[in-house]
Amino acid sequence: MSTVLQEIVEKKHYSFIDGKDVTWQEAVRLSALPLVADGSVSEDYYKQIVSCIEKYGPYMVFEHNIAMPHTTENPIGAFKTGIGFMVSNELIDFGEDEDGEKKEANIFFTLSSVNSDEHMNNIQQLSQIFCNDELIDALAAARTPEDILAAEEKYPCEEED
Amino acid sequence: MAKLDGKKLLACCANGAGSSLMMENAIKKVMTKYSIKPGELRHCAVSEGKSAARNYDVVFCAKTFIKNFEDVGPNTTVIPLKNVMSDKEIEAGLKEAGLLDE
Repeated sequence: MSTVLQEIVEKKHYSFIDGKDVTWQEAVRLSALPLVADGSVSEDYYKQIVSCIEKYGPYMVFEHNIAMPHTTENPIGAFKTGIGFMVSNELIDFGEDEDGEKKEANIFFTLSSVNSDEHMNNIQQLSQIFCNDELIDALAAARTPEDILAAEEKYPCEEED
Repeated sequence: MAKLDGKKLLACCANGAGSSLMMENAIKKVMTKYSIKPGELRHCAVSEGKSAARNYDVVFCAKTFIKNFEDVGPNTTVIPLKNVMSDKEIEAGLKEAGLLDE
């Protein structure tokens, strides 16, 4: 079975952007575009994610400048389970969290969830990727799909259980 | 026997699909590390968790949702997390609440 990163490359669910002067709302929109391209989500899907962050703050931005924009399971405008991967050459400013701590991201994993099992598998793999500092650094430096695969090959996540 | 054996644990986030699932995975890791067998471990959206919380022994949520759990009652411990995938934070939170032995 292919890993989520291999799947991202196979399905062309990736993008690399120049993040200069890009707002977080625009970044979320851009991160979903590869999913829009093959009909995984609708063009407006990203708006639900933006509203959620506006309502609750940037809690989807984790350590190591990783953003995981997502909504609920089976949301309006999601048609296939998938992950839109995006790397920005500059940090995107998500404002501050509830403790006044600055939240910024340069790696995006934007989720669309329709099938529970597939989604669960995606989340489990992402949890491992997010904890793999070397892999995250390599992914942040990726500028081509080949870089994504090379990063994973160099710093594979350990199989759990 | 560990204090958390048989206890009911709940992880909540805005939508019940992303962060709460990550939290559940991180909680599982801690449970495995300490050989704890919780009675129940699941995740859901805050909207559901708000009313369900009082039926659980421990509720984990991203810090931003803490206000939703102000009136859970005396039998539920709410542990807010800054980083939803941090098993270290989960461990620390449980220890602070006296639910996990060193």
